[in-house]
Amino acid sequence: MKFDELFRLIHFCKTIQKEGTDPFDLDVSMFLETLNRYYTKWKSLDDLLIDAEAIAELAKIIELQGKWIKDRASSFYIDPVLLELKLKMLDAQQLATAFLKSWHPLISVDRITPQRLKEGLDYWNALLPLSDRKEDFPLPATVDMTFNIEDLIALNILSTREFDESIQAVLTELEKRGRTEYHEFIYDATFEASIIKAYLTSYLVSEGKALLEINPLEDKVFIAPSTSGDVKGRTPGRSIPISLSYEDWLRWRERKKQGQGQNGD
Amino acid sequence: MEGEEEARTRTERRLKKAAQVLFFRRHRAPGVKGWELKKALGDDYLEVLGVLDSVLDRLGMEVKRISEEGEERGEGGGEGEEQAARDRFMIVLKEPVIEKASGERIDDVAMLAATLAYIISKQGKAPRKAVEEFLGDKFPKQRVFFALDRYIRQGYLGEDENVLYIGWRTRAEVDRKSLVDLILSS
Repeated sequence: MKFDELFRLIHFCKTIQKEGTDPFDLDVSMFLETLNRYYTKWKSLDDLLIDAEAIAELAKIIELQGKWIKDRASSFYIDPVLLELKLKMLDAQQLATAFLKSWHPLISVDRITPQRLKEGLDYWNALLPLSDRKEDFPLPATVDMTFNIEDLIALNILSTREFDESIQAVLTELEKRGRTEYHEFIYDATFEASIIKAYLTSYLVSEGKALLEINPLEDKVFIAPSTSGDVKGRTPGRSIPISLSYEDWLRWRERKKQGQGQNGD
Repeated sequence: MEGEEEARTRTERRLKKAAQVLFFRRHRAPGVKGWELKKALGDDYLEVLGVLDSVLDRLGMEVKRISEEGEERGEGGGEGEEQAARDRFMIVLKEPVIEKASGERIDDVAMLAATLAYIISKQGKAPRKAVEEFLGDKFPKQRVFFALDRYIRQGYLGEDENVLYIGWRTRAEVDRKSLVDLILSS
């Protein structure tokens, strides 16, 4: 019962902060008197926490009151009631004119470039017919949960052997290629295959079988197979988000095609 | 002599690139982030933008820098490199335009003007419901609702837990003091 009054005051402080109403609506001295009245009755830690929260909220309101006074004292202050009245009196034409006279519009041009058109065309060419992409638009799942590898293995969707073999194939390729730029390594013949390879590569990094090197100056990420020394001196890892985009993959494929064409010439 | 010529050509090339990056829209929202400009123009991109600003000045335009929180940065920014990388840069007209410069209907411009003036008078934020009720005095509720959503999408307004506040685009484009003065003197 004793908390009701304090909760009400805390809530009132939060409403003022959230809605930007007049912070002087709160009577600070009455607030402090209320806190003082309860002060001797506090017994538990929870009581003290409520008391601390109330003080913290009150401090925020006093800060807002200071800001409010500063705003009112500045030349920028406008009486909200007067402005509201004026806004109601003006017609749309007058309001729009006032806006246009104080408007410095942003200048930006929208234009489709030949390169962007080509990207669009490549995307169109690579896009499967809607009937083949039904799995891209699945019906809403009735169970909201995620599966990890163990769940998939338990459900016989994936076998441990199959998964291990895939991981091993990626590791063998990495050992053969040595230190390579990350995207060069994971990009494959199709975008789907690239995503799967990135997923499997993340396992190699998590298990310490591969190392990621980030070069912030060149904005590049390299991947290399771990040596036994790397594995021993391994410190707890951190997550490194690396973006993979379809457009970037298309550019990579284009570069690769051009490279092959030049080699063939 | 040749070195000087090369340096001038290089500066001109970077200036052209800066103008292209800033003028042509690359994202759904207009403007370009500092880190994108750094990537396109190099580490001294702020200096390149300074030169571009002086060139645009002769054409009645300027390069404007706005923080993600909507705070306007003064000349030179005066902030760290990290802050500059997060800020948004755009080109705006220096002088207000009197002629029509957008395809918006007059009703929509009026509603935007009234909304901004109302929020400015409430110290920069107001409950959405209060704004809807205020605009609802002159426009149908449905239109008010969609108009507010559109202003939020365009960046003129921001919304947080049903409270509307002045968006980054208003800070970049609208001289708020002038707007309020004009309304009060109409």
